[in-house]
Amino acid sequence: MSNSSIALRVYRDGLHLIIKPHLSITEIEAAIEKEMSRMNRPLTGVSVQIDLKSPILQDEEVAYLTSKLKEAYNLTVRGIAIADEPIPEPIAAAPTKHIISHAVNTESDNRDSEPSRIAPYTIRSGQTEDFPQGSLIIYGNVNSGAEVRSGGDIIILGALRGNAHAGMNGRLSSVIIAMDLVPAQLLQIGNYVKRPPIDPKSRGYPEIARIEADDIIVEKFVKL
Amino acid sequence: MGKVIVVTSGKGGVGKTTSAANLGTALAILGKTVVLVDADIGLRNLDVVLGLENRIVYTSMDVIDKQCELSRALIRDRRTDGLTLLAASQKNYKHHMQPAQMKAICDKLRSTHDYVLVDSPAGIEHGFRNARAGADEAIVVTTPDVSAIRDGDRIIGELQHARISPINLVLNRFSPELIRRGNMLDQEDVIDLLGIALLGIVPEDTGVIASTNRGIPLVYDETSTGAQAYMRIARRLIGQQVPIPDFEQKGLLTNIMNWFTRKS
Repeated sequence: MSNSSIALRVYRDGLHLIIKPHLSITEIEAAIEKEMSRMNRPLTGVSVQIDLKSPILQDEEVAYLTSKLKEAYNLTVRGIAIADEPIPEPIAAAPTKHIISHAVNTESDNRDSEPSRIAPYTIRSGQTEDFPQGSLIIYGNVNSGAEVRSGGDIIILGALRGNAHAGMNGRLSSVIIAMDLVPAQLLQIGNYVKRPPIDPKSRGYPEIARIEADDIIVEKFVKL
Repeated sequence: MGKVIVVTSGKGGVGKTTSAANLGTALAILGKTVVLVDADIGLRNLDVVLGLENRIVYTSMDVIDKQCELSRALIRDRRTDGLTLLAASQKNYKHHMQPAQMKAICDKLRSTHDYVLVDSPAGIEHGFRNARAGADEAIVVTTPDVSAIRDGDRIIGELQHARISPINLVLNRFSPELIRRGNMLDQEDVIDLLGIALLGIVPEDTGVIASTNRGIPLVYDETSTGAQAYMRIARRLIGQQVPIPDFEQKGLLTNIMNWFTRKS
């Protein structure tokens, strides 16, 4: 899609429509139509941010584009940005509807409607606990050499010493909470990975791992 | 009806065979009838540790192949009444025995003995599956280092999967000196990591090497700390209340230092 005049990309705050400079409004319209026809399913009811590069379009051209997106594709424009600085690497390209729907629809925190699974035991070395459909709650420890993965959050009412991967389908608002967050292995949220310290020390209070500013941060858990 | 207890660890070299030999001997000294079953087919060692290698005529493999009766394959230890060994074949491989065959042997042995202790090979594959096949209970042996503990954790998962319960822990080669210097995990750390009941602690004892080489289990030497530890564990196995001594007794200087740091 890099050679296309427009691009649809998914960022942490949702869908972005990136429009390259030096294009006429008709060229842009044609490119949007072409991009939309590539989708397996139509993108409807989604909000989109338009990223423009200078020289920017006229105000009336932007207004026309906004109404056109609403009418033809039922897309709400939530903002216009002039992005002259390099746009950060997208977390996922959007060639198929599948990825977009996941990232955008789940981004708005559907924790209430999500199923969750309770594992009332300790996950030992060599054992795995997977729950891609939603959040995973563990009444026990996740020992070194064990693996837990969930589509949503991971809540461990014990110590996390093994490998945890929250938001495995790309939900980047997912968090990992453990009473004792001392992983000896990788901590993962979405496609972000954090290598733990060599000798993790127990802090004596629960901690939360979440994504902030393009990195997984770990801090004292107070409330979400 | 006797109990079948598998002695296992996951990792090799942590003291499974030494523990099985000493606990078996200790139980026999306490008046129980015990049969030690070596499940380490192809890499047998239990006979050496017990000093019975020159008396093996038949092995468990011969019993399975119907070359001899089970009772004839049992080797009586002449030093202690009630202690017998069922040796493993050294010329076969683990896959020559099936879990169901091991279970059949264990079930027969339990009708004539108070305790059947199965010495498991290292690993989680076929040999381990044979060893656990007939077991009601398990003793997991670990040393206080992270690799042995991780393998122990894996083994506990496998034992729980096979619904073996209780699973008890023996912490072997425990060195109070190294813990004092902060170079070894202490018993609380290990129990916290593995989450199973502690059956006993065996302190590091260099006498083990000599005892293995002579084929005389440590427990016969009543002065050794290792022997005393195994005797205590055996007493706990038969249901006696024996407290675990505090191996981490701190010196006077450490206590004074702690007192000062607490104040400040």
